[in-house]
Amino acid sequence: MPTLALPPATEPALLPGFNENVLETARSGEPALLQAKRTAAFEAYTQIQNPEAFHEEYRRLDPKKFKFGSFTRLDIPREAIAYNARPVDEHYDVVISVTPDGIAIEDRADVTGGKVTVQTLQQAALDHTSRIEQHLGTAIRSEEPRKFFELNGAFWNVGFHIHVAKNANLPKGILLRYHNDREGTALLPRLLVTAETGAEFALAEQFTSPDGVSTLCISCREFHLAPNANVKLVSLQDWGNVGIHIGEDWARVQRDAKVDLFSMTLGGVVSKMTVGCNVCEPNASAYLGGLFFADRKQHFDQKTLQFHSAPDTYSNMLYKGAVKDKGYSVYQGIIRALKDCIGVDAYQTNNNLVLDPGSRADSIPSLVIDADELACSHGATMGNLDPEQLYYLRSRGISEPEARRMLVLGFFEEVIERVPFEVMRDRLHEVIEEKLNPFARD
Amino acid sequence: MADLEIKNLHAEIDGISILKGVNLEINKGEVHALMGPNGSGKSTLSSVIMGHPDYEVTEGDIVLDGESILEMDPEERAKAGLFLCFQYPVAVPGVSISNFLKKAMDARHPEGKAPAGPFLKEMRENMAFLEMEPAFANRGLNEGFSGGEKKRMEILQMMMFKPGMVIMDETDSGLDIDALQIVAKGVNKMRGADMGLLVITHYERILTHIAPDRLHILMDGRVVMSGGPELVTKLEEKGYDWVREETAATA
Ligand SMILES: Nc1ncnc2c1ncn2[C@@H]1O[C@H](COP(=O)(O)OP(=O)(O)O)[C@@H](O)[C@H]1O
Ligand SMILES: [Mg+2]
Repeated sequence: MPTLALPPATEPALLPGFNENVLETARSGEPALLQAKRTAAFEAYTQIQNPEAFHEEYRRLDPKKFKFGSFTRLDIPREAIAYNARPVDEHYDVVISVTPDGIAIEDRADVTGGKVTVQTLQQAALDHTSRIEQHLGTAIRSEEPRKFFELNGAFWNVGFHIHVAKNANLPKGILLRYHNDREGTALLPRLLVTAETGAEFALAEQFTSPDGVSTLCISCREFHLAPNANVKLVSLQDWGNVGIHIGEDWARVQRDAKVDLFSMTLGGVVSKMTVGCNVCEPNASAYLGGLFFADRKQHFDQKTLQFHSAPDTYSNMLYKGAVKDKGYSVYQGIIRALKDCIGVDAYQTNNNLVLDPGSRADSIPSLVIDADELACSHGATMGNLDPEQLYYLRSRGISEPEARRMLVLGFFEEVIERVPFEVMRDRLHEVIEEKLNPFARD
Repeated sequence: MADLEIKNLHAEIDGISILKGVNLEINKGEVHALMGPNGSGKSTLSSVIMGHPDYEVTEGDIVLDGESILEMDPEERAKAGLFLCFQYPVAVPGVSISNFLKKAMDARHPEGKAPAGPFLKEMRENMAFLEMEPAFANRGLNEGFSGGEKKRMEILQMMMFKPGMVIMDETDSGLDIDALQIVAKGVNKMRGADMGLLVITHYERILTHIAPDRLHILMDGRVVMSGGPELVTKLEEKGYDWVREETAATA
């Protein structure tokens, strides 16, 4: 049976750099609730085997590539630092910025404090103890143990809580940006989003680092959507050329609520993203959008899980990827519907462009169905650009390289056009064009 | 010397010989019709003129404005003033009409960038002329278009690019009378001393809307008969069998 899980460990399994001593540092000076959560996550983390190349989940991405042991957990100061405005910030209501020196939360539109809360997790644990108690670490399904979800739960070094109250909405949305310029360090961001009944907002996240600076990031985001809430996330993994990224996104979606999780993987050298949604009450729906483009020996691995634990639930997934210049991408997805869940609609599509023969894309879609009555489809395509499309554009005077660029951008447009922030769409176009321009890089 | 000369053109695809010595001469200001039964090589001829990479020219030449274009890529031929109205325009999802037209206009501009203002104005005017909604420009190129919409899109491009030599490959096929009239309206607007036109068709119908100066009949990869407009009526009455008999007699 296809699964995304690692087996349980017979004795405590620790990854280099993430042990009891580091846990103590992480816990020190924190509210009791967070200390307890970290300890519980640490226990769970040690009880799951360390990833190995022979595990099903890692058959196409050797965990040695994560280079555990070469990164030290950053100790990010909890005190706020000065906020450095950037031109793109005007497109958001709230901008959260994180560097190894500290964090800044800038409420540009005066939206927080009332119906919208944007806080560090430490502050939220004091101000909204029961909410954090109930939600932090619980979006994940217990039968799907996640090593890196738990690792992040124990060791996260920067954490935020975003809460949007009943029927509240944010006109422009929130930007969370992470920048790490410290060689040999690990950033472990944690995000907890809770959206109350009818709440609506969009969130953008971006990860950047300078080229040539080795960093590791183990990110974890949790989304809890109350009935009729509508939350969109666009995450852009835009690390410099030697960044390593591991990410876990988990959403729990209640009645009539809708989540859109966009996962865009373009930067770094090795990246492993897992995105899961649990549509757990009737008429809950989820859209998983993915875009990845691996070039110059980048190795990107993405996993999706569409879990239907209630009848009349809906999920749609579209991941589009391209590879060139010895890039390697892996997509693996699972649709799962529990027994007695009738009226489930679940779709899974993965399209890949293999732009040269030295590059590789693997696609493994699968269904695990216990339910009897559902509409499901899954499919994958693999191929180079269509020669007839290329010829058509060229017959209009467009040069071959330009025509190729247009076709690759056009291929990704199906995902990009749904992205809620224009600035994010612009940045996606820009990075893709850079990857297609043989002279702009190196 | 004619503005477009097709001289003893032989071409093949996958080693199969399709064109077996086509001769044609078209000048700017003239409208020529090319008719022929299905499979006679009409689309092959247009593909070979435009430079489709799958076809190989094994003999003969295509000369545009005094220069052989055989060694040119399709984009160079387009910029030299050739335009092909495709029989089956391919859909390019994710590439909007406006973006596509802008890129094609940029490619023709001496500085590589067509100024946006005049470009948009011209696009909107031409679209209005062809009775296309302005919002249509945001749609993916030929994506989910009806037959009529695709052909209008081809004519819109012709109007934007202002080519010197146009080949229309069965632009009339699958069009209802209203769509055909709009297409003819666009073509007749462009018609003039600066443009030569080769109308490839299977039916006489389009030729009542776009009156040709000359008619050629293609059979089995060769132009077997040429004549004035009166040949259209004759062909209508007597059919291709008559052409076969006539050419067999002279052969
Ligand atoms: N890709 C191909 N491979 C082999 N034969 C082809 C190919 N394309 C067209 N042909 C053949 O070439 C001949 C001419 O086709 P075409 O130019 O499309 O004719 P028309 O447009 O006059 O109907 C036909 O016999 C057709 O079967
Ligand atoms: Mg044809």
